[in-house]
Amino acid sequence: MKQRWKIDRRTFLRGTAGALLPLPFLNLMEGKTRNAFGGLSSPDNGPLRFVTLFKPNGVHPPSWNINGGTEFDFRMSPLMAPFSKHKDDLLILDNMGDFGFSSHANSTRRFLSGHHQNKDSASVDQVIANKIGEDTAHRSLELTTEGLFTGQFGCSYISYDKDGGAIPRESDPQLVFDRLFRNPMSDPNQRRSMTSLLDRVSDDAKALNRNAGREDRQTLDQYLTVVRETERRIENMEQSGSNPRIDFSTLQRPEASANLNEQVESMIDLMALALWTDSTRCITYMLGNSNSRMIFDFLGITEQHHYLSHFFRNFSRTNLDSLLKISLWHMEKFDYLLTKLKSYKEGSGTLLDNSVVLFGSGMGHSDNHTAQRIPIILAGQAKGRVKTGRYIRYSENQELSSLHLSLLKTFGVDTDSYSASDSPLPGLDGGYFPEFRERPFESWVTQEAGTITAQGRLRMSDNLDEAKVFYIDITGQESVRIEVVFRDFHDFNLPYHVGTPITLTGNGSSNGSQLLITKVTELKSLFGKSKPGTQNG
Amino acid sequence: MPAPCFRFLLPLLAVTFLQAKDVKIDGTFGSEIQPLLEQYCIKCHGGEKVKGDVDFTTIATKQDVAANFELWELVADVLAFEEMPPEEAKKRPSNAESQQIQNWYQKQFIESVQARPGNLQPRRLSAPEYRNTLRSLFGFDLEVSIIKAEQTVVERSLALKLLPTDPPGASGYVNDTHSAPLTTVTWELYAYLADRALQKLFSFQQPDALEIFVGEPLPPAFRAADLTPDQARSLIRNFAPRALRRPVTETTLAPALNALKDLNGQTLLDATKNELKALLVSPGFIYRGLLFEGEPDKQQAVDSYELAERLSYFLWEDMPDETLSKSAASGDLEDPQKLVAEIDRMLASPKSRTLSESFAHQWFGLADIDDAASDATNREALRSQAVDFLNYLFTEDRPVIELIDSKTAFTNYITASFYPKDRAQLIKYNKPKGIERQLVPNQRITIEHATERGGLLTIPGILAMNRGPVLRGTWMLRKILGERLRDPPANVPAIEAKTPDADLTFRERFDQHRSDSTCARCHDRIDPLGFAMQHYDNSGAYKLSPSYKAPIKKKEHDDDLESLDTSGQLPSGETFKNFEELKSILLSAKRGDIIRNAVEQVLAYALCRKLEPHDRPTVDQIAQTIDETNGTWRDLFIEVSESLPFQETYVSAPSSSLSSTQPKVALLFPKQSHR
Repeated sequence: MKQRWKIDRRTFLRGTAGALLPLPFLNLMEGKTRNAFGGLSSPDNGPLRFVTLFKPNGVHPPSWNINGGTEFDFRMSPLMAPFSKHKDDLLILDNMGDFGFSSHANSTRRFLSGHHQNKDSASVDQVIANKIGEDTAHRSLELTTEGLFTGQFGCSYISYDKDGGAIPRESDPQLVFDRLFRNPMSDPNQRRSMTSLLDRVSDDAKALNRNAGREDRQTLDQYLTVVRETERRIENMEQSGSNPRIDFSTLQRPEASANLNEQVESMIDLMALALWTDSTRCITYMLGNSNSRMIFDFLGITEQHHYLSHFFRNFSRTNLDSLLKISLWHMEKFDYLLTKLKSYKEGSGTLLDNSVVLFGSGMGHSDNHTAQRIPIILAGQAKGRVKTGRYIRYSENQELSSLHLSLLKTFGVDTDSYSASDSPLPGLDGGYFPEFRERPFESWVTQEAGTITAQGRLRMSDNLDEAKVFYIDITGQESVRIEVVFRDFHDFNLPYHVGTPITLTGNGSSNGSQLLITKVTELKSLFGKSKPGTQNG
Repeated sequence: MPAPCFRFLLPLLAVTFLQAKDVKIDGTFGSEIQPLLEQYCIKCHGGEKVKGDVDFTTIATKQDVAANFELWELVADVLAFEEMPPEEAKKRPSNAESQQIQNWYQKQFIESVQARPGNLQPRRLSAPEYRNTLRSLFGFDLEVSIIKAEQTVVERSLALKLLPTDPPGASGYVNDTHSAPLTTVTWELYAYLADRALQKLFSFQQPDALEIFVGEPLPPAFRAADLTPDQARSLIRNFAPRALRRPVTETTLAPALNALKDLNGQTLLDATKNELKALLVSPGFIYRGLLFEGEPDKQQAVDSYELAERLSYFLWEDMPDETLSKSAASGDLEDPQKLVAEIDRMLASPKSRTLSESFAHQWFGLADIDDAASDATNREALRSQAVDFLNYLFTEDRPVIELIDSKTAFTNYITASFYPKDRAQLIKYNKPKGIERQLVPNQRITIEHATERGGLLTIPGILAMNRGPVLRGTWMLRKILGERLRDPPANVPAIEAKTPDADLTFRERFDQHRSDSTCARCHDRIDPLGFAMQHYDNSGAYKLSPSYKAPIKKKEHDDDLESLDTSGQLPSGETFKNFEELKSILLSAKRGDIIRNAVEQVLAYALCRKLEPHDRPTVDQIAQTIDETNGTWRDLFIEVSESLPFQETYVSAPSSSLSSTQPKVALLFPKQSHR
């Protein structure tokens, strides 16, 4: 239905710097007239866009991770099911992040700023917005679903300005809609009705003024000054001629949302509309604060999300099921976004073809806060700059900052470094990347007077009833089962080593052919770091 | 020019609304004061040399004396603070001479002043007043779509989220919007909020609200565009007096009704919305007191609609409800008994919680509790203790002086550890499964054991927001005793946290600091009060409690318990060993000051303006009544509502042209002000 709007973006909207203005009805007009489009886009095909969707509270790794498979031949994981239909438009990145542990606040900052200590420069979305968003009415939009977590305020922000200051976020779809499409700056109808309102109230105020005392007059004088000033600004707008070819008044304002699901779907609808109308080219959206305490009552869940995300400590099968329900809901919203972006045709492709969508979280294992194997997916080809339909598992853990540097280059930002990284993440464009390769190692196990030492690949149990259980696989033998208390799980950072070969020593026993370790005393990584940092990085 | 005159901030000076006609000048100026000025002041402030634009030689007649009341206030002030003449002056007045001038000022310009009401000053609704008014008018709130999760801060109200925060006015309260004028941004936001409210009104999520205004039941399948011309007219007729808070004449309604003529369907609906929107952004809606038409150049009682509005914004921070409007229409508010009944009804309404949540919140600076805890849930737990306590005092007819001492407290599982034995009165809180932290309502408890907690001063959040003796002492002086304090000189550093090689205790280093007479002027008043509270740590916990656990990390100001000295002497002479004894002094010797301050705060909030010399007789009379009768907060609210400045006003004569009036800001000595 939206195809009948043929937008001439050149005469469309002109730029102002800055994020969302308080309610920028009349505050939008300061920029000088510019020809829309930077060097990266052409009017026929639409400009490049960058969209971020942040998923709070990490994941349950066995449900998220892709195990095995190659670049072009892989099976998506159970949690990826909701958006598996978009497989051809996805570039799934694995082995992203390398911190043993990370606080919620640090991992959130790292998501778009490369490193948690990168505290005095802009997050990557803002750098990209500066490059591609200068000509739009809204340089960027920063969106969220919930309030400010005051205990660690870094949990509530992913977008930061050039001085490293957190950028306020907006949660209300109706308000965002009004800012985009119901301000007099962008809508001549609004200007007309504003002008008639101003005429009307100034007549009324003048009538009052006739028999007013001194103080009353002062008040009315002040009032009329404001009215006149507003009239003047409206006139200026008329003259400087922002008359978009689309009549924004035909756009439907979203209904008030009754729950989180409606709120998020309304917002995603608006995001697509904002991109399509070229009101903005850069949007970040947080589905929740990192460490979100939200209660997903509309999914029938009564526990707080953060509580459930600590699925080791707070393990019960029903808790884990609830957590996975929430995660699946997040994945469905990612699907919703992609589907929406594809529904808008632009040039010979879709809105998604001209965009990069970055989806992911700040941490991997949500109980241990391991910031390794962080869920990161790119969607959309950015006009052919990103090669999708692939799964990239890097040979080594990759800093998020190298991904950010690559994204900057994708969007034409001329820089050689970003945050902690001066080498871009290779392979996004389909070029060479160091692919993960199995290195040969021997697996074995010894048992001696209650001490068991096992060498082999560590994995989490696939059985959801065993969310606290790990195994070390031994060739030709039954796997060694590891069932330890939280302290051992955390101190030896078992989640960090999952999927890699280790030598692990501990106390335990045998039950028939099954060896069981109940207390870990030593852990060595065969090829990687044995202790991947104990700081809250 | 090295003279260190006016060392302290001049803006602290009152900008008085006193007028020359308010005072009666006797002959003592020529015989007693002029000679002193000639002896000590004229050298720099008269004739050839006129420092700071102060020239005493121009004052000759009684009229001159009366007209220069602001100058005399300054003179009295600099003498009281020993700022003038400067220290290096050759001749300085004796204490007796200085006192003589101060007494003269007191007699001529304070005590002789007759009570009169303030001038009628229309004022813009403050942001919370606007929010509440819009909500009461429409019967629904405009809410922001945002998920409220535990431990997060959200602003649910669209109006409060969007409107600029009003700064406190000269009275210290945000309802004193005189110094926060209307701006284009605010006006545009009013227009936007009006749009949103009208959209919702016609959206039929709200059929009840629309039916009330239309005045008849609407059919079930009614759509907004079905509005008939009759319904539209009655909608405007019913809406206008509610929005403007007083009856509206046919002449006023005529333009709106004319605009609807011969329209129907969608065009009628659009025109109706436009007319309603025009009302909502009109001066009559967004200002208070503008539509009261008094007789010019005359002191007079306000009419009953203005009185109703004053009452409801005072007790509710909101427009009058239907009952109050009816009382205004019937003239009931002029009957003192019926006025009291109305006030009792209003205090019993949940809306009166704004007295604690807004008025007292601002009075005591409870926003600072944000600094007492980083976790949003803990913050609110701490803040709600103070708010619930004040709400109890205000709405349950408790004596004013119970502000200082009370057996009643409010707590929940988060703050219960401050009441180790009394917490047994609480119904046990069982945390629901999967909820990590949760704010729950406080319960009322009677303090039987934790006697160190009774009253506002030792509510944990209050102690935790004011850390250290200086903040606590200053807060008590300003907020409880109502004393004026000047800001400290800019070049004085804060007392250092403990240094390893210092043998002195924290307190001893303060005593050292006080040996400087400049510092002593204020710190003699601040320190005794603050150090009396040193048995309460920075979290508000009581160090002498058997269950006290010292914080793991020692903070500054934390001397060892044994070396803590909580004794002191007030400048007025009373001595005490600890806070308990200080509290007895507050309840006896300082009782009058505390009550008087409470009267001033309530009156200033009710009048939405700073108190002026001509309010002094009103304050005196109410304070005396409350003190003598051990009056309650309810009594105080009634006294204020019945008082002259609340009931009456002065309407000034119209000025000839619109822009001829100047803002009433007396800029004294602009060249001298150091900042």
